[in-house]
Amino acid sequence: MRMVEDFDDIEAFEAKETRDRLPIGWLILFWGLIIWGVIYFFLYTPQFGGWSQEKAYQESVNK
Amino acid sequence: MNDYSYDNQTVKGFILSSLFWGVVGILIGIWISIQMWNPSWNIPPYFTFGRLRVVHTNGLAFGLGLGAIFGIFYYITMRLTKRPLLFPRLARFHLYLFNVAIALAALSLLAGMNQSLEYAELEWPLDIGVVILWVIFAINILGTIIKRREEQMYISLWFIIASVVAVAVLYIVNNLSVPAGLFKSYSIYAGINSANVQWWYGHNAVGFVFTTPILAMFYYFLPKSTGLPLYSHRLSIIAFWSLVFAYLWTGAHHLVYTPLPDWIQTLAIVFSMFLIAPSWGSVVNGYYTVAADWSKMRTNYLTKFFIFGITFYGLQTVQGPTQALRVVSQLIHYTDWVPGHVHMGTMGWVTMIVAASMYYIIPKIYNTEIYSVRVANTHFYLVLIGQLIYSVTMWITGIQQGALWKAVNPDGTLKYTFVETLVRNYPFWKLRTIGGIIFAIGMVFFIYNILMTIRKGKSLSASVA
Ligand code: HEM
Ligand code: HEM
Repeated sequence: MRMVEDFDDIEAFEAKETRDRLPIGWLILFWGLIIWGVIYFFLYTPQFGGWSQEKAYQESVNK
Repeated sequence: MNDYSYDNQTVKGFILSSLFWGVVGILIGIWISIQMWNPSWNIPPYFTFGRLRVVHTNGLAFGLGLGAIFGIFYYITMRLTKRPLLFPRLARFHLYLFNVAIALAALSLLAGMNQSLEYAELEWPLDIGVVILWVIFAINILGTIIKRREEQMYISLWFIIASVVAVAVLYIVNNLSVPAGLFKSYSIYAGINSANVQWWYGHNAVGFVFTTPILAMFYYFLPKSTGLPLYSHRLSIIAFWSLVFAYLWTGAHHLVYTPLPDWIQTLAIVFSMFLIAPSWGSVVNGYYTVAADWSKMRTNYLTKFFIFGITFYGLQTVQGPTQALRVVSQLIHYTDWVPGHVHMGTMGWVTMIVAASMYYIIPKIYNTEIYSVRVANTHFYLVLIGQLIYSVTMWITGIQQGALWKAVNPDGTLKYTFVETLVRNYPFWKLRTIGGIIFAIGMVFFIYNILMTIRKGKSLSASVA
């Protein structure tokens, strides 16, 4: 089937004025999660924070 | 204007194949949901829960999901690169091979051939077929993008490239095995390594079949069908790169509190939580795009599919990371909560966006309008209600299950036997079946609408000729 179709106008896909906007709330979320991740990684890695699954288990059993 | 002959027949072929496998998969979904509260619906040996469940998941993820992805990716790629496919005949061959592969997959699973790796159940001869299928697809899509006639690459193309590349790597790595006969093989991984590779694969199957391809569709068809331009190009690009970067590290969140080393679990949890940001980048971009003119929600029937779809994606991508956290995982893991999560994503996000994309494409191919907006609206509300019943009932019973399992007497023994916790699921499982039936009726309206549009389109082009 042969048919004629207008090309997509790539320009019209993206708003011009807001093209480069990054909402502030979103930026806070983005960086906040990175900071949270670094802290959590250190706290919950046995080699750094001392926490371990095995220890947590023993504690819960001894309670 | 352009007078290329775009390969619309192949696109349409994939869409119809996808719908066909969708019907099969959804009917089996209802069937297995009944088996869970009424075992007499098991018909051994071929139609027991264990065999039908894999046909349900494979049929829908690969039959409905990949079928739609193949067809719609071809459609989008031709438009965004402003050229026909590099190898149209190869694409047609791809369509036939795809249907043969899915049919053989379903039969082999019913026959009980199974590698016992979730979403990678197919035995090695079929794996080879899948790899060939994917290579054909990759050559055509990537080749067409390389030879594109439009320099600027719209965000959808990035999501398409990521999906094509990631699935290839994931599938091959997790399926490496040593054959032991034609229908049996042994994975090259064992023990904890096997678990780790399996869930690296399993989670990214979710990521690169149920997320990035659907986002490619969302970013393309939202502006196309509403006429509203995407709010922020930069936000879409940052969301893309951070999403694909983070996704590949998160698989171990399926293995929280297992013998997998603690640091790998922790790393996966960190990246899972981070994923909220890139996911919500797309959600926010969608909302701001339609915020330019909210009246589109009423005046354009497709807008609500996209807005509800992206909303369920947003909920899914908060719920998922939360499930990765240790405190939450210890309650909901192994419970029915997880199928609740799964089906909000598959029914509320994946099928919603896929259906909307098909509603856009089919009339375009025939140069006509959709057969009936009212039927489309009925479809929308039925699948919405069906999905909500499914997810909400499973969340409730999942939490109940987890709490009962964890309840202990003062001397440390379990308060409830397993069977006591099981029977409490029954009312919820029955409700789920009702939700599934409502969803399925919605899909019948959808398919009817698509087929009638095709019929209308055919008679139109016949009367023009
Ligand atoms: C930020 C994104 C997401 C994260 C971090 C995430 C996280 C998770 C986690 C932790 C589980 C395991 C639950 C358990 O067994 O304890 C899970 C299961 C699952 N999720 Fe998500 N999820 C996300 C988005 C999605 C999306 C968009 C879908 C689309 C349908 C989806 C589909 C699934 C499926 C199919 C499973 C079940 C896997 C299985 O056990 O077979 N997820 N998810
Ligand atoms: C009428 C609609 C549907 C019904 C009644 C249904 C029912 C079910 C049932 C009963 C299960 C097994 C849960 C368990 O083992 O506890 C399941 C699993 C699953 N279904 Fe569906 N389903 C439906 C639609 C879909 C759709 C549209 C998709 C995908 C596009 C899908 C994808 C899946 C996946 C990936 C799993 C595996 C989840 C896991 O391992 O945690 N389902 N479904």
